[in-house]
Amino acid sequence: MLIFKKFLRDIPAVLGFIIVFAAIAIAIADPLFIDAKLANRPNIIARLQPPSWEYPFGTDNLGRDIFIRVILGTDTALGIALGVVLAAMAIGVPLGLYAGYSDGLVSEVIMRVTDVFLAVPQLILAIALAQVLGRGIESAMVALAVTYWPFFTRTVYAEVRRVRTALFVEALEGLNASRTRILFAHVLPNVAAPIIVRASIGMGFIILTAAVLGFLGVGAVPPSPDWGLAIAEGRKYLPEHWWFATFPGLAILVLVLGFNLLGDGLRDLLDPRLRRSR
Amino acid sequence: MVLFVIRRLILIIPILLGLLLLTFVMLRMGPGDPAAAIAGDNATPEQIAAIREDLGLNDPAVFQFFDYLVRAAQGDFGVSVYSNRPVGLDIAQRLPATLELTIVALLIATVFGLIIGVLSGVWRNSTFDHLVRIFAVIGLATASFWFAIMLQLVFSMDLGILPLRGRLATGMPSPPVVTGLYLVDALLAGRLDAFWSALAHIILPAFTIALGGLATIARFTRSSVISSLESEYAAYETAVGYPRRRIITPYVLRNSLVTPVTQIGLLFGAFVSNAVAVEAVFDWPGLGSYLVEAIFTNDYQAILAVTLVIGVIYGIVNICVDVIHGLLDPRVAETM
Amino acid sequence: MRILHAAMFAAVTLTAAPLAAQAPEGELVWGDTLPKGLDPHVVYDVPMQFYMLNVYDGLYRYVGNPPELTPWLAQGHEVSDDGLTWTFTLKDGVTFHDGSPLNADDVVYSFQRLLEMGQGPSGAFLPVLDPSGVEKVDDLTVQFTLKHPYAPFLAAIPLVSIVNEDVVKANEADGDFGAGWLSSNSAGSGAYIPDAGTYVPQERLDLARFEDHFYGWDDNPSPIDVVRAYPVQETSTRVLALMRGDIDATDSYLPTDQVERVKGAEGVDVSQDESMRIMIIRMNNKKPPFDNANFRKCVSHAFDYSAFIDVILGGYAERNAGPIPKNLWGAPDDLEPYTFDLDLAQEFCDAARAEGADLDRTLEIHIQSALDQTTQSAQVLQAGLGAVGVNVELIASTWANLTSQAASPETTPDMWVHWVSTYFVDPENWIGQMYDSDFHGTWKASAWYQNDEVDSLLDQARAETDQAERAKLYEEASRKIVADAADIWIYNTVQLRGLSDRVDGYKFSPVGSGGEIRWMSLN
Repeated sequence: MLIFKKFLRDIPAVLGFIIVFAAIAIAIADPLFIDAKLANRPNIIARLQPPSWEYPFGTDNLGRDIFIRVILGTDTALGIALGVVLAAMAIGVPLGLYAGYSDGLVSEVIMRVTDVFLAVPQLILAIALAQVLGRGIESAMVALAVTYWPFFTRTVYAEVRRVRTALFVEALEGLNASRTRILFAHVLPNVAAPIIVRASIGMGFIILTAAVLGFLGVGAVPPSPDWGLAIAEGRKYLPEHWWFATFPGLAILVLVLGFNLLGDGLRDLLDPRLRRSR
Repeated sequence: MVLFVIRRLILIIPILLGLLLLTFVMLRMGPGDPAAAIAGDNATPEQIAAIREDLGLNDPAVFQFFDYLVRAAQGDFGVSVYSNRPVGLDIAQRLPATLELTIVALLIATVFGLIIGVLSGVWRNSTFDHLVRIFAVIGLATASFWFAIMLQLVFSMDLGILPLRGRLATGMPSPPVVTGLYLVDALLAGRLDAFWSALAHIILPAFTIALGGLATIARFTRSSVISSLESEYAAYETAVGYPRRRIITPYVLRNSLVTPVTQIGLLFGAFVSNAVAVEAVFDWPGLGSYLVEAIFTNDYQAILAVTLVIGVIYGIVNICVDVIHGLLDPRVAETM
Repeated sequence: MRILHAAMFAAVTLTAAPLAAQAPEGELVWGDTLPKGLDPHVVYDVPMQFYMLNVYDGLYRYVGNPPELTPWLAQGHEVSDDGLTWTFTLKDGVTFHDGSPLNADDVVYSFQRLLEMGQGPSGAFLPVLDPSGVEKVDDLTVQFTLKHPYAPFLAAIPLVSIVNEDVVKANEADGDFGAGWLSSNSAGSGAYIPDAGTYVPQERLDLARFEDHFYGWDDNPSPIDVVRAYPVQETSTRVLALMRGDIDATDSYLPTDQVERVKGAEGVDVSQDESMRIMIIRMNNKKPPFDNANFRKCVSHAFDYSAFIDVILGGYAERNAGPIPKNLWGAPDDLEPYTFDLDLAQEFCDAARAEGADLDRTLEIHIQSALDQTTQSAQVLQAGLGAVGVNVELIASTWANLTSQAASPETTPDMWVHWVSTYFVDPENWIGQMYDSDFHGTWKASAWYQNDEVDSLLDQARAETDQAERAKLYEEASRKIVADAADIWIYNTVQLRGLSDRVDGYKFSPVGSGGEIRWMSLN
């Protein structure tokens, strides 16, 4: 309970938590209020209307309500980020555990492959890969997951190396516990904190990167309400129809902000060695 | 130290090989036929088949890869399937633009990041400090391409005080090429008009790219300043009665610089990533916009080459950072 | 933060002054797209026409709107009665940019180079002409011997730029026909000389007037001496650059919203010209359920043509009922366009279902992300088909991907959106290459339409030399293809180019879209 109180005292982290919680709530609840099919349907007569009571964020080039589409975009953004982070964890964490725990060729190969993936900025690799896989949200997600796992491997590797020499591991080895058991039952819980922090920050990072992919036309495909895509379309209607590109960008800002603040808060809480600031 | 640098240099080789292999495999998997791209819009299937043969696309993949390796080692990145121009030439022409943009962005991020960070650390919990912290979290959460568009909207389209796009005013001849960096070349040639124009054009894109890095550096500097100020040594000096300014300047600053400098290597990757979309927004004729074009045209040779070049630069920057880090903190060099 | 603000403010005030810089006197700044490379025998895209028309010359040239085939480097030509032998006589005294004379050797070399390399516009000639079929008769006479009669031959002649043989040969490497060199240099005789030193692909190219151009400059008392081609990538940016005076001309495909903006602004205007460029949603006739004619009719009736043309495009397009632009001969006057009628669409879809067509599969329509109208039209169709219970999914793609997918019916998408521009002014450019099964495997024929009657009509039209007879054949073929609802033909383009008021003499032609600078002057 102490830890919970400590968290509540961290105002930015609480704000981040509220944003993330609200976004998840919206993503889960919006099918109850909004018919996604209807929201995608062009309504040519009402195209490019400025913000008003009827259309709080205005309408786009096909006369669709931007407010509704920004709300629907939350599903897309969260879905992509969650899928990518989970997939990257599923690949990256076991590899990091293994490479960190054992020595030898396999471990060496894993880390060298990790180096290769980290040798080019993630976005560049992801763009190329998304292009190869064909356009669409699915390929963008695969591309992002394939380029993001090394970050988990690196983090976990470093942590495991630190924990490996700990007394309890040696004790377990002495007891002839199986390697898998040691890794998952004993080492993993001890390196969980940095993984959780990395995942939370990663959510924000992936949302940003996925938006770039959508913006460049290698991510989400129309009529998806994806924010990056909406900015790319809205950009063509500047400066008169400024609302078209502005609001989706603000949505990205708010959601990423939420994950970053939450991640910082979690880091302060879980991982005292990496304290950000006071 | 020399040995340390050499060791770092050797480490980059397997990474580059792996990188080449990775991109090569990826791009061979991809849809789209480079032969069809070369053959052009009105080609017949026979024409396309003939070009496939000429390009060696029917050879075993292993041969194609080794062929590419040998050529790349000689600086020959092949001919663009899109324009028929040597890719190396295109990259050479565009690299300076990206370097100029990234360097200016790094300067902005470092200079402003350090200043803001130090002040905010020293004036901890002041209004200024709070504003800086808010700015830092927002800066890190902003999509750079969107921020670019917003800056364009406000400063170019609305206020009309900064140029919308490009590297130089239209119609203005570019300064004679020495470094390829317009700001430097213009000064070398004594062309003040070109210098001001280049400066005006680089402000918005460079600032956009720098934003996240600026926030990161400010944040790291702030916390290092705070921990230095809180350290026992500083506490001792304060106790002894040294004026606060005298403590901050020589002691705290030197100690606070180490962490931000190590961040620059990481930031460079972020800057190059940001540059891709930001260059596209500002029509900045660099590698980023070249990559975007190459992707839209399935220009395999170009995509491979850009990825490789960025990998090499990234590697060099990281080596430099390691070396600087080693100089600032000799313990690092020993462990590597 | 305050420091940052102050610094930005200082930077802004310091640099505001040189921004007002306008394009200098006597210089035209052209903001339209540049071709992907500069070799006119390799690159064959719409922007290439701008470059070809200004830097190179061909034997004939299209001038004006409607485009008139005008003898250019040639004085004229003769064709044998069997339609196989074409003899062109060259004008005397034509010189290249380097001062050397242009003669029959250069013409023969240019055609042979094109045919041997087999890229770019060679597709229009390869089926009927071998390199050995191009011969020099004397210094000013060239003779072409076709493999079989091909009436559109003359119409395609302007596609071939004549290059300076000696210059290109001097720059050959590894038997590449000088293609590496010519992709960033020039060897032409045209009205403008590009400055290869300034060339940066897709970014800039400076051109200077060629005073000794064979056509002379008597028709234009104050020609433009320097042209700076600075393509601006994004449309809204491009329009803003025009309105600020940074550039003198935009591209010729301004979106409607931008047209109104330019029209309302001072010192700039929009040139509005009906072109020959049709927009089509392709249907893969070999892929179920598109192999069912009733289903294709259902789709044809489910597209809201007037919402798209009148509202989204603001009426800046002309409804085109069939595959030939309606302002070209060969397009039947009486062709009834498909209407937007959801009841009718429902009937046809029901009929298709009754015939066993599977309409429950989600259909794919591939769009080109870079081109807004492909997305908008796909969404309009998606909404229409949704109303009759057919699901459509949009897939983002690129031109490069789509054209290579068009190689086989299996890889060709269910539907995709594109335009067919004027490469040469003959129905062959549209209906001939789009619906003759001989062209299957090329992007133009990606409907995979198969109709033996149509094949034979189109073959006859190629062999026939009398234009009136050919027109009848094309009209008949058009009616059959439209009755089969092979594709969804939407509109014929009205080209919209933003121009600065200081430009005079802008002369539009569907070939080159008005990019020929030699007719223009600056006031």
